[in-house]
Amino acid sequence: MPDFFQNNTVTTFPEVAKIDFKSIHNKYFKVIVIQTTLLFVALFLVAFIINYKAVVILNFDVFWLYTLLSLAFITVLFLKVIGFKKRKYAVREKDISYKKGVLLQSLTTVPFNRIQHVEIDQGPIARYFGFVSLSVFTAGDSSDDLKVPGLLKEEAEQIKEFISTKIDG
Amino acid sequence: MDSTENFSQFRRQSKKGILVIYLNLIYTALKAFWLLLVIFLQKFSNISESTVFYIYLSVGGLLLFFLIRAFLIFKNFQFKIENQHFILEKGILKKTSTSIPFDRIQNINFKQNVIQQLINVHEVNIETAGSSKAEISIKALSFAEASALKDRVTIDVNAFKAEAKENKSPLLKVGLSALIKVSLTENHLQSLVLLFAILVGFYQQISEISNGLGKQEVLDNYIFKNSSALQSSVFLIIGLLLFLTIIAVVSSVVRVLLRHFNLRVYLKDNALEIYQGLITKKSIVLKKDKVQHITISHNPIKKKLGISFITFKQAVSGKVKKKQDKIIKIVGCKKEQIAIITNLLFPNEILEAEKKNFSNVYFKFRMYLRSIVFLVALNVLFVVSQLGIWIFLVNLILFPIVVFFVELQYRKRYYYFNENILVLNSGSIETHRTYLPFFKVQNIQLKQTILQANREVVDVVFQTASGKIKIPCISMESAQEIYNYTLFKVETSIKSWM
Repeated sequence: MPDFFQNNTVTTFPEVAKIDFKSIHNKYFKVIVIQTTLLFVALFLVAFIINYKAVVILNFDVFWLYTLLSLAFITVLFLKVIGFKKRKYAVREKDISYKKGVLLQSLTTVPFNRIQHVEIDQGPIARYFGFVSLSVFTAGDSSDDLKVPGLLKEEAEQIKEFISTKIDG
Repeated sequence: MDSTENFSQFRRQSKKGILVIYLNLIYTALKAFWLLLVIFLQKFSNISESTVFYIYLSVGGLLLFFLIRAFLIFKNFQFKIENQHFILEKGILKKTSTSIPFDRIQNINFKQNVIQQLINVHEVNIETAGSSKAEISIKALSFAEASALKDRVTIDVNAFKAEAKENKSPLLKVGLSALIKVSLTENHLQSLVLLFAILVGFYQQISEISNGLGKQEVLDNYIFKNSSALQSSVFLIIGLLLFLTIIAVVSSVVRVLLRHFNLRVYLKDNALEIYQGLITKKSIVLKKDKVQHITISHNPIKKKLGISFITFKQAVSGKVKKKQDKIIKIVGCKKEQIAIITNLLFPNEILEAEKKNFSNVYFKFRMYLRSIVFLVALNVLFVVSQLGIWIFLVNLILFPIVVFFVELQYRKRYYYFNENILVLNSGSIETHRTYLPFFKVQNIQLKQTILQANREVVDVVFQTASGKIKIPCISMESAQEIYNYTLFKVETSIKSWM
């Protein structure tokens, strides 16, 4: 086996501060807004039904409940607007990184040679706009692996293909 | 290696296995229905003779059914070894065939409970990273068979025969006196909590059943009476505390002795073999390469006595909760013994000379902030519950405790690393030192809250196959350095991490 002892040294350190991050596609912002709105519409409906059908007897004016919900809606939407600009990803020769978060910022990097499998999935709203999310899984606690939402389908397929060849190779 | 044992053909376990399976079935049934049995026995005198006859008949029928079932389970349980795979076929109606490649096997454990000891057979469990339960459990094998099987699975086929001849003197042996030292210096509070958890489970089981029989009131009354008596006397409380302390100490002694009695560790090729247990004897084969990281822990008293314990973490599947059983511990290690084990797992690594890096002061600040939030919430609770003014005195006790723990935790949080290994120190009263080889990291994360961003500090989270390891609140600069270095090590590593 001649290539068994191949010395694939990385000559320079991968530098996280110098990664060229790509932003999520601008149109994906609509998906986020619609998703958040739908969630709060559902919450408002629940509040309305509770009040109307008197499921739970409220000992305060229902007006406050609506105000609270509206405030929550505005805050969440605001955070999502700022947060959208912070969502960034980068695929390098040997790893994939994703950045996100406003109040809690995080940057995750998964080296390709630790990836177990790659998944592409799509919610109903994202499908309408032609977006998918790409998830990679490692052997670690799977809840904390990397997921990049809001990729265009072709792009995600390309990345998946790229990672797959890297894993096999 | 015993060459007479050949596993290339399908074979069953030892015939004695029928007995083991049979008793196991009865035991499981008893465990599920013991309370009904107790209630039944209480009312035994009220039952007419003809019914008693039917009851005997059905019990007899049940026992016979279990016997047949045990026989069928035995009959349909076959295993063999075929090109580096362990193959198992089992199931009476639903047939399952399992095949596990050798290099995916994480450990092989031998177990002997009382019955298995009496009839001199060994239970063999083969575990992979995939599940929390043993994937393959062979209930009864003779010792010769069991060790031959273990050797076939653990020893690399390419390894030299000469090397397979192991020297039989243990690498490490923990005697009874050392074990008693260990048990007396355990975390007794933890033992108490464990015991309490068992008792609560017990109570729930009783109340569930008595609820169904309309006896809930009696039980509640009983507890209420006892608790109101408790309030009436301070002496009783002090007595109770004393009693609890004794219970806690005794339960830790019992726990440690039961689990770790006659602990011996042998070194064999690329694996550690751990033997321990009083009533249920266990032996664990731990492959060196499968260990993700290890933690060496001690507390002040243990440190004085010069003993600590080592915890080995192996890969677990993300979906299953970590089971206590899967955590492999060697207790009562002396300094030299720790040196032997660390040197075995991480040969030729010199770490002592490395510079200790402490967390930023923000770490302390954050712990204080969290404690203050907790204290405020507690006081709000006090106000709401209207327990009287004296309850606020609790703050006077809690505050120094908080300060003590925060300062201690801050002082014990540091890390250092050499070329290959990261060492993390943490703990409050107990001290834990974790050794993590860089190449075992699965993915790495930087986390920063807004408050942290102002101070330019960041948490680094290493995700390994056996859980997260965190360095809290270090400067952005050093965090990025570690981040880059870890990625470099992982991406250039060709060693298998599992």
